Amino acid sequence: MGEHTVASFDEDLGQISRLISDMGDLAGSMVSGATKALLTSDNALAQRVVSDDAIMDARQRELDDRAITLIAKRQPMADDLRHVVGSIRMAGDLERIGDLAKNIAKRVGSVGISATPRDLSHSIDSMAQLVLIQVQGVIEEYAARDAQALAKLRADDERIDVKYTSVFRELLTYMMEDPRNITACTHLLFCAKNLERIGDHVTNIAENAYYVLTGTQLPANRPKLDETAIPAPAA
Amino acid sequence: MKPMLSTELNVADTTAEKAKIEVKNLNFYYGQSKALKDISLSLPERSVTAFIGPSGCGKSTLLRVFNRIYELYPKQSADGQVLLDGKNILDRSQDLNLLRTKIGMVFQKPTPFPMSIYENIAFGIRLYERIGKSEMDGRVEQALRRAALWTEVKDKLNANGLSLSGGQQQRLCIARTVAVKPEGILLDEPASALDPLSTAKIEELIDELQADYTIVIVTHNMQQAARVSKQTAFMYLGELVEFDRTEKIFTSPREKRTQDYITGRFG
Repeated sequence: MGEHTVASFDEDLGQISRLISDMGDLAGSMVSGATKALLTSDNALAQRVVSDDAIMDARQRELDDRAITLIAKRQPMADDLRHVVGSIRMAGDLERIGDLAKNIAKRVGSVGISATPRDLSHSIDSMAQLVLIQVQGVIEEYAARDAQALAKLRADDERIDVKYTSVFRELLTYMMEDPRNITACTHLLFCAKNLERIGDHVTNIAENAYYVLTGTQLPANRPKLDETAIPAPAA
Repeated sequence: MKPMLSTELNVADTTAEKAKIEVKNLNFYYGQSKALKDISLSLPERSVTAFIGPSGCGKSTLLRVFNRIYELYPKQSADGQVLLDGKNILDRSQDLNLLRTKIGMVFQKPTPFPMSIYENIAFGIRLYERIGKSEMDGRVEQALRRAALWTEVKDKLNANGLSLSGGQQQRLCIARTVAVKPEGILLDEPASALDPLSTAKIEELIDELQADYTIVIVTHNMQQAARVSKQTAFMYLGELVEFDRTEKIFTSPREKRTQDYITGRFG
């Protein structure tokens, strides 16, 4: 991409890109931290994730301010316009990812996972790994301006949906097996749902990033494989 | 409108809409210098088309071909075809007075005649029609209303046109243009010398006028082109680089040169 005749325009756009990149890094670290805190019952780490959310919120407000000011000052067009509007939307999704990671972190004290069987947390762990790959990948592919990789990444959310369905059933089974698991499993179900929602926000970011880079929208319908809301067939 | 794309020319095919003006392989010369190079495009009826591009790209030259006003100057010539309702206006047999009645023009700097507001309108009508005083009064009022100027000047129709503000003078020129019932209106930077409020009034007027007229506007203000037009042509060095729906041009143009120009990366 060539440089603008007005160099400060490039600086303004660059600052917005840096904020998206910073927010993406922070989102990745929050998801990673929240999951680790959950699986190891690390309250101090959970507390750090909760306080990181305030930083995430502040970055989003800064990005909004910069984007609005840039629109007012520069009246961006074409790819610049898509970049600015897309960044505002991506920042909204990243901020929500931060909220969801914080929600997971806040459950750390309640779950008491260390007292429960390893099996109970294993599925959550592998689901969290999938989500983390998506969160980190979306920001990397956007920075690399790789539209095709973003389209693939969006489709890959399917794997998280499948995993969520599996975790849901598994936790249900544990609860039926032993009512003493109900409290921990219920908290873990909420955590799994939060992870699944983080995956959805990553797909939103991928769609926005794809539009920013190409000027065209990805097809509206993406296969959704979260089957937890579908009633089981009658026996 | 939904123009289809011609892959060869990066020009929107507006055949889905009735074309008012069709330009085919148009070349224009200032003496030996070629200012327009093989321009082809189709302007839909009752719609606003914007021409954008850097200074010297040929957009005003193209505009001036549509009413052959360039013939007022020596050593300027055009070849190719410009079809107005299917008839080539570049034909020698074309009646230029009739053409300029059909295709009115408003310039960058307001050019009211040094006469009363009323006479600024009536003067043009008298050139082409013989009508009585009461009918003329009606036509003058109608034209001033059409140009959104009536309420501001109805009590001072005998005042000199030059006594009006810049924005009012420009709307007087538009009233003068619509008074002779044209089919097309050419606007050459019509608001570039006006303050924001007057500019907004001109843009509102363009929006209303497109219901009845085919309008072509040349502007350096890209936000203005984006606001008022339905299709936009980007020109560079005498060539038509890209012609498409305005929202397409300003959000995701196909040509790099268009993108570089509208985002301020040119040159």
